[in-house]
Amino acid sequence: MSLLEVENLRTHFISRDIDNQIRVAKALNDVSFRLEAGKVLGFVGETGAGKSLTAQSICGLLRPPARIVGGSVLFDGQDLIEMPQEELNALRGDQIAMVVQNPRTSLDPLTRIGDQLVRIHQAHTGGPVTASRGRALDMMQAVGIPDPANRSNAWPHELSGGMAQRVLIAMALMNNPKLLIADEPTTGLDVTVQAQILDLMKGLTERFGMAMIIITHDLGIVAHYSDEIAVMFAGTIVESGPVREVFAKPDHPYTRSLIASTPEKLQIGGGAKLGGQPPDLYNLPSGCPLRTRCTFAEDVCATPPTRKQIGGGHYSVCHFSGALPEGGGPQ
Amino acid sequence: MSFTRFLVRRTLTVIPLLLGVVFITFMLIRVGGLDPVGQLAGPTATQAEFDMIREELGLDKPLWQQFLIYTGNVMQGDLGESWLSNRPVLDDMLERAVISLELLFWGVGLGALIGIPVGLRAAFRPNGKFDQTTRVLSLLGFSIPTYWLGLVMIFVFFYLLDWAPPAIGRIGLMIFPPDTVTGSYLIDGLLAAEWEAAWSATTHLILPVICLAIVSAAPIIKQTRAIALEVLSSETVRYARACGLPERTVRKLVFRNSAVPILTFVGTEVTGLVGTMSLIEYVFAWGGLGQYGLNAIVRGDFTAVQGYVLALALFSVLVFLVVDIIVHLIEPRSELS
Amino acid sequence: MAETVSNGIEQSTTAEPGFSLKNRLIGIARVSPTMAAGVLIVVAFGFMALFAEFLMPHDPVSAYHDRVLQPPSAEHWFGTDGNGMDVFSRVIYGAKFGFGIAIPAVLLAIVIGVPVGLIAGYRGGFLDEVLMRFFDGLRVFPSIILALAVVAATGQSLLNVVLVLGFLDSPVFARLVRSEVLALRSSVFVESAKAAGNPTWRILFIHLLPNAVQGAMAQTAVRAAWAVRISATLAFLGVGIQAPTPEWGAMIRQGAEFMVTGQWWVALFPGIALILLVFGLNLFGDGLQDLTDPRRRAAK
Repeated sequence: MSLLEVENLRTHFISRDIDNQIRVAKALNDVSFRLEAGKVLGFVGETGAGKSLTAQSICGLLRPPARIVGGSVLFDGQDLIEMPQEELNALRGDQIAMVVQNPRTSLDPLTRIGDQLVRIHQAHTGGPVTASRGRALDMMQAVGIPDPANRSNAWPHELSGGMAQRVLIAMALMNNPKLLIADEPTTGLDVTVQAQILDLMKGLTERFGMAMIIITHDLGIVAHYSDEIAVMFAGTIVESGPVREVFAKPDHPYTRSLIASTPEKLQIGGGAKLGGQPPDLYNLPSGCPLRTRCTFAEDVCATPPTRKQIGGGHYSVCHFSGALPEGGGPQ
Repeated sequence: MSFTRFLVRRTLTVIPLLLGVVFITFMLIRVGGLDPVGQLAGPTATQAEFDMIREELGLDKPLWQQFLIYTGNVMQGDLGESWLSNRPVLDDMLERAVISLELLFWGVGLGALIGIPVGLRAAFRPNGKFDQTTRVLSLLGFSIPTYWLGLVMIFVFFYLLDWAPPAIGRIGLMIFPPDTVTGSYLIDGLLAAEWEAAWSATTHLILPVICLAIVSAAPIIKQTRAIALEVLSSETVRYARACGLPERTVRKLVFRNSAVPILTFVGTEVTGLVGTMSLIEYVFAWGGLGQYGLNAIVRGDFTAVQGYVLALALFSVLVFLVVDIIVHLIEPRSELS
Repeated sequence: MAETVSNGIEQSTTAEPGFSLKNRLIGIARVSPTMAAGVLIVVAFGFMALFAEFLMPHDPVSAYHDRVLQPPSAEHWFGTDGNGMDVFSRVIYGAKFGFGIAIPAVLLAIVIGVPVGLIAGYRGGFLDEVLMRFFDGLRVFPSIILALAVVAATGQSLLNVVLVLGFLDSPVFARLVRSEVLALRSSVFVESAKAAGNPTWRILFIHLLPNAVQGAMAQTAVRAAWAVRISATLAFLGVGIQAPTPEWGAMIRQGAEFMVTGQWWVALFPGIALILLVFGLNLFGDGLQDLTDPRRRAAK
């Protein structure tokens, strides 16, 4: 049994506009993936592809008008979608911990950071406050915050972005989680700090035996830090598999275009760049959502493609899976 | 930045505002085509008498000189003499200030006590039944003329039900007011252990206080709701939920993070309510500063009007200052600014 | 619930439906039912003001000396006041004053405030600084007291009430427009309009104005509510409008003394009419703000 099994997860934004018409944005369409304990899974895709929304759907953090309309999420054998809110709440920050994008504005501005660490530990693990305090100092040490005893008295606004992100990671570690979800954890940080934070998180997953989901739009981060990759487009995972395998033999035209557009020397498969706007989730084209932008598109693409296995754990959702010419198609 | 330095700097920023306030107050009377001289001299005055009064008041000088003289007088606490009472306006007002402040304190206090919890509760379930209801009720509260509400309350509770004392003044006609310590009959009565006086003062306070509380609660509800909604959708609260903090902790967090903007708003509101309160005083014959000011306006006692308007503006400036100082003390981030 | 949702999905996947006034109205009423109620109330009062002559059973200012202070009856629905005038007719006629003061006052506030906000926001610098300080200075005075004092000082006439209210309310519009202009000033379309050699007045009124004025327009109903309320307050104190003018505030003033002697109808009915109109305008204004603020709407 995998630590996390997501099956056909569908999340829609359902609202009514000013003309009294119901409008539905199909933000997640049949998202399925698995994550084994101790592994790192990287989600990549452009803005609005549904990476963060997948994480929020898993944790039950959706806010109206978003809601889950189908599928299942099994974490450690428990169905998170069916789970009552209080139980799910007890799981969050405990077994599933999150690290978010803007650490400085996410921390409670009116509570010293040491007290925030104690608070999350008290909320889930409980026990004597002195024990929580001790653990807080240990975790601050573990995430490389110098002089923890002193720093625990700092206010969030006194921290640099990198330091605040370390505090968030320490918060995540407080209750010994099985899964760490890092949603664009380094987007707002300096490049040098980015690498430090990612190295730190990678090291901590090994040290504490956590699984981790990294959400990013930076393919380089996924290539460097994760074991598995899931490429998202228009609310669908279009290709997934072991990182090495996918980078060696990218199958889906969208994956190829992503790899082709990274400046680094990562491209192995190559492929034409795909231009164009992300599709309108309120009005997705029938069939493959990529077909209006894809250079390979043919008539058959107007019908929905199915998920095909093309290697060990390597899946792609394309009518031409395994059949496209290597090294790119018509330019 | 040390606290004293903040205090000094913040207080200094008030000076240009005060100058502006004095200027507006000065112009208030000059823009009108009305001539206070005619009022003072009376209908039978001769031209010579007119000129004498004009000179006495300094009205023969150019406008800028008049302004300088006025500013100088204000700074020395000389607000001129009331034409109605023949006494210095400052003395008249100082006597009545506490009376009004007492009413304002209870009224806004009660309004905030009702408004803040209601606004918070509405925000936690936006567009729920409670929210919809309180939203309509608070808009209704915005729409009710204070003086009319006061009159209706007098009719219902004095005339119909006979629960309330007649709406004349702050204490029963047959009761000796306690010796003046603070100026509030209620507190002075309690201090002097004159229970009858304290009780009578309380019964006289109830209707005007409720009236003011209703009027002040409406905007507090609306604003508290808006502030709490803003905080609820902030990254801080989203992260707190992602951390699985219990709902009670999240609510506490929302409340603490709303406290400063709510306090700032209530401060602003108090300064506006002073105007509304004067109408309540007028209806209940309260005898405070507000009634004094309204009387002066209605009767055309322009020296007193000027003094009253200036006093209200100074009060506003003072309230803003105090609110800023409190915010500085309770808000850790303010050390940055 | 599930049914409507699936139904809605069908609607959205079929071709985009064309604009339909009926759907738009239903949509607005759904987003803000309170606004729909507010509009209804305001329209009803507008009808009353326009057709007062046909609706009043009596002359609002002719006194029946034999029928002083009569309680409500079939002949006088809202009773008669201390002069023997028909309160019902006077309440209806009062709507004319409500609109007659609020509409020109708000228009005046817009005519003063919007250009001032445009120019202050666009020019910035010293002029902007001075104007903003002046507005800040005005803000420390309670608006009702300032209005009272200025009307009392400048002479008590209906025209003066309108002028003073319009002037005192103009900073609201100036501020809103100014902050919009500040945000738009360095935007691409203004820059390109400048580069194309448009004169300043053209940039201000053709390019900036339509984009900067939406927030201010959403305030008009609330400001009208304010104007109705304040003008009635002035009349209640006998400043600006004097009894026996059939204005609601003045009528409440007339009825005030009878509240302690039990003739409640004289002050009660004009007060209710005043509340209803102000309430309607506030409901309307609150809904307008909902519609123009996408964040408030999204929460629905």
